[in-house]
Amino acid sequence: MKLFNVTRYRVPALITSGILIVIFWVYTMFFAGGFNFGIDFQAGINFTVEVPAAPDEQAVRDALSDYNPQVQTAGDKGGKFVIRIADDAQNDNFQQTVSKAVSNNLKEKFGNVSILSEEYIGSSFASNLATQTIWLTLIALSLILFYIWIRFKLNYAVSAITAVFHDVLFLLGFIGAFQLEFSTATIAAVLTIIGYSLNDTIVIFDRIRENSRIVKDKDFNEVINLSVSQSMSRTLITSFTTLLAVVSILVFATGTIKTFALSLVVGIVVGTYSSIFVASPILLAWHNRELKKVHEAVSHTGHGALSSSAKASSGSNSAANVPEPVKQTAEEIAEATEKKSKKKKKKKK
Amino acid sequence: MTKMMRTLLILLMVGLGVVFLYPTITWYFFTSKEMKALANGSLPEIRNWAENEAQSASEELKRLSQDSEAVSASLPAEYSFLKDAAKINYRFTKENIPRDWTLGATLNGFRDFNEVNAAIEDYYRQSILDLKDMKGKILALGLDLSGGLSVVLEPDFTALEEASTEVLSAEDRSAALEAALEVINNRIDTFGVTEPQIRRQLDDSILIDIPGEADPERVNSFLMGRGSLGFFIVDDTGTETIRNYMASGGKIVDRKPVEEGLLAEGLMVLGFYTKDSYGMDQFKGWIVVPETPGLDGSHIREANPGTDQNTLQPIVTFRLDPEGATIFQRLTSENTQKYMAVVLDGKVKANALITETIPGGSVRVTGFNYQEANDLAVVLRTGSLPVQLNIRSLQSVGASLGEDTIQMGLRAILIGIALVFVFMAFWYKGAGLIADIALALNLFLLTALLSSFNFTLTMTSIAGLILTVGMSVDANVIIFERIKEELRLGKGRAAAVETGFKKAFWTIMDAQITTLIAALFLSQLGKGPVQGFAVTLAWGIGCSLFTALFVSRLMFDLGTEGFKRQKISIAWGIK
Repeated sequence: MKLFNVTRYRVPALITSGILIVIFWVYTMFFAGGFNFGIDFQAGINFTVEVPAAPDEQAVRDALSDYNPQVQTAGDKGGKFVIRIADDAQNDNFQQTVSKAVSNNLKEKFGNVSILSEEYIGSSFASNLATQTIWLTLIALSLILFYIWIRFKLNYAVSAITAVFHDVLFLLGFIGAFQLEFSTATIAAVLTIIGYSLNDTIVIFDRIRENSRIVKDKDFNEVINLSVSQSMSRTLITSFTTLLAVVSILVFATGTIKTFALSLVVGIVVGTYSSIFVASPILLAWHNRELKKVHEAVSHTGHGALSSSAKASSGSNSAANVPEPVKQTAEEIAEATEKKSKKKKKKKK
Repeated sequence: MTKMMRTLLILLMVGLGVVFLYPTITWYFFTSKEMKALANGSLPEIRNWAENEAQSASEELKRLSQDSEAVSASLPAEYSFLKDAAKINYRFTKENIPRDWTLGATLNGFRDFNEVNAAIEDYYRQSILDLKDMKGKILALGLDLSGGLSVVLEPDFTALEEASTEVLSAEDRSAALEAALEVINNRIDTFGVTEPQIRRQLDDSILIDIPGEADPERVNSFLMGRGSLGFFIVDDTGTETIRNYMASGGKIVDRKPVEEGLLAEGLMVLGFYTKDSYGMDQFKGWIVVPETPGLDGSHIREANPGTDQNTLQPIVTFRLDPEGATIFQRLTSENTQKYMAVVLDGKVKANALITETIPGGSVRVTGFNYQEANDLAVVLRTGSLPVQLNIRSLQSVGASLGEDTIQMGLRAILIGIALVFVFMAFWYKGAGLIADIALALNLFLLTALLSSFNFTLTMTSIAGLILTVGMSVDANVIIFERIKEELRLGKGRAAAVETGFKKAFWTIMDAQITTLIAALFLSQLGKGPVQGFAVTLAWGIGCSLFTALFVSRLMFDLGTEGFKRQKISIAWGIK
């Protein structure tokens, strides 16, 4: 097995991530004019129409100039357009009026028109969905944080969640900068990436926790490198297989699902990267800071009672300068948990 | 648990899966398009079909019964269902049940051809109703995949609040909403072919799903409210013309006869319907009225059914507002001895002779039986929505677009899954095949589970399905990598598998439970597309935990003990 020294690149990696995220967000906010919110988040109406006689987007735009529409070509055969008209809440019967007007205007100008699909979202629904989703996601994240805290330790949980925020910021920045439509499918993509990135990070953390118990003669930096290297093939194979499935949607499917797949591809790549280059370095930095505190405490008072955070199952107050790892292998832990569960079962009986 | 028990448990799961999947597979692969359309149809639609089928079938039987050869021949296979009905009749009359079910013997089980006809109609109706039942147990396709119209309406109480003197209580609002639902339900038959789903949602909005129908114009018909009810003076000469025209095989399209110039400008043809004993609309004839009503329904204050004190005939009394009263008085004085049609949603519901001028704004319409009077009162009452409904969101997908999406989507998924299968088998060799079997089983169980609760598959839930594939493979990858590590340490097959699974167990659990937390949370609280995605993912994680930790393990163990294998085929470098 090849040993990867990933922690050596932690500073350039974090700087690169930071710069990219800032560039994406600055570009989105100041140059692209914010996110390209889709129908789900902005009151308005969306049509997919087939107008064989219309030469280009501009012609369609002209035909509907009263409503100030956004027009995009859909598909690559031509003659298919996506038309978006915002609801400015001036008109009571917006949907009915506009729906009729669009089909009449197009028919008048181009003759044969078929409306393939129509979507309308009223203003109350649009704002509801956005705030609701943000809240739900935050609550879900804090639940996850709590779970990792219980199963690992607080510093693991915080590092993992930081990596998740990194991914979400990156992905949203990417979506904004490239003006991909921000829709409910985007939310689904972001949620997927949250799950995926956590999944990735936890597999590595699990290894770090296990190794820090077994490997006693190495410092935490090396433990992280060892753990990342050990799980490297798994990380890559899983990312590769998931990408196989997602890229095939990107290539072969049509419509909104394509944007969804693109977000997923970006998210999977970033999620994989962050579990290696973001989550672990943060864990290391936290560890080093606490270690420093321990050292300071030792030099000031002569005896320290703080336990190092790197040892997941510690909780013993024994260690002072270099914390003593718990002498327990993964197998023993597994056996212990099994015994515990058996005992529980017996009790239940 | 012994291997025997484990195998049995898995077989049990597969068996359950087959049971759950059976309706879905029958529906999508073994049901003809016509039958599907009928099962999607409304009850009147089904009744008409069953009647027609029964008619032609019993005519055919009548013809056969004239033919002595056919009578003594055995019953044709397509009518074999008549045997059961005949058997019951034989038993009922305590006659001997015939040994040979010839056509004659079967028909003798019935009193007359009316009874045969009824039995055939029963059979056809039941077969469609059964299919309708089955439809409730399948993996349904969302509107974005199958095409259709979905509308969410939200009530706007401001108008109602202004109209009433008191502050509206929660019960008042609820009652108004229930009444609005009744109105919409009453207008269900304006949709003809497919049966819409109308639901009141938790936040008091109303969700209407109309599969297969993609014309948003139709929404107007249940939002038009008061305006859709009107009183029209019947054009007698026009009606007479249309009656003759229809008798000679004419056709009405868009309320006009196909033959131009038949009717004067500004006239339209409407169907006259009465409710039959099932409460279904029955066509009575065509009636010609002007395009603009003499009085529109917005002037109606209330409508009550009652009984005429003198004649004891049922009547409907409706009260008009002052302006309406004036219009109505003028209308009736100018058109005495003519017929007046009460029209709702483009259908003539009542057609009565105006005998005298009606002043005062209280109008009594006679000439109905009590049921009709009641119905008319309901019609008049429900003609106007008690509360204004606004469209909150609307989605309409043309069936062809839906079909394209699903075909493309399906192809993309199949290609993706196939690639994953091939890669796993290539990378992990024998163990990869085990992972492939586990993955196939996972997908099978997941679709079975989703069909068992009549889940609606949308594009985002398909995305969830694909992510499940990724997660399911991941669990196997974690296990295999651990096994490989143990093998590198020089352990044998059994020991490597044992420790590999043991060490991987909590890694997988932790990794998947975190995702499961998010998925479960969102499946409970999320809406629409987010929810569809989350539900699929949550169940997918459950299934992939089962297949990776339980099924794969069993297959390894069977290989070790059942086939006495010492080596493990898991990678190209390791033996």
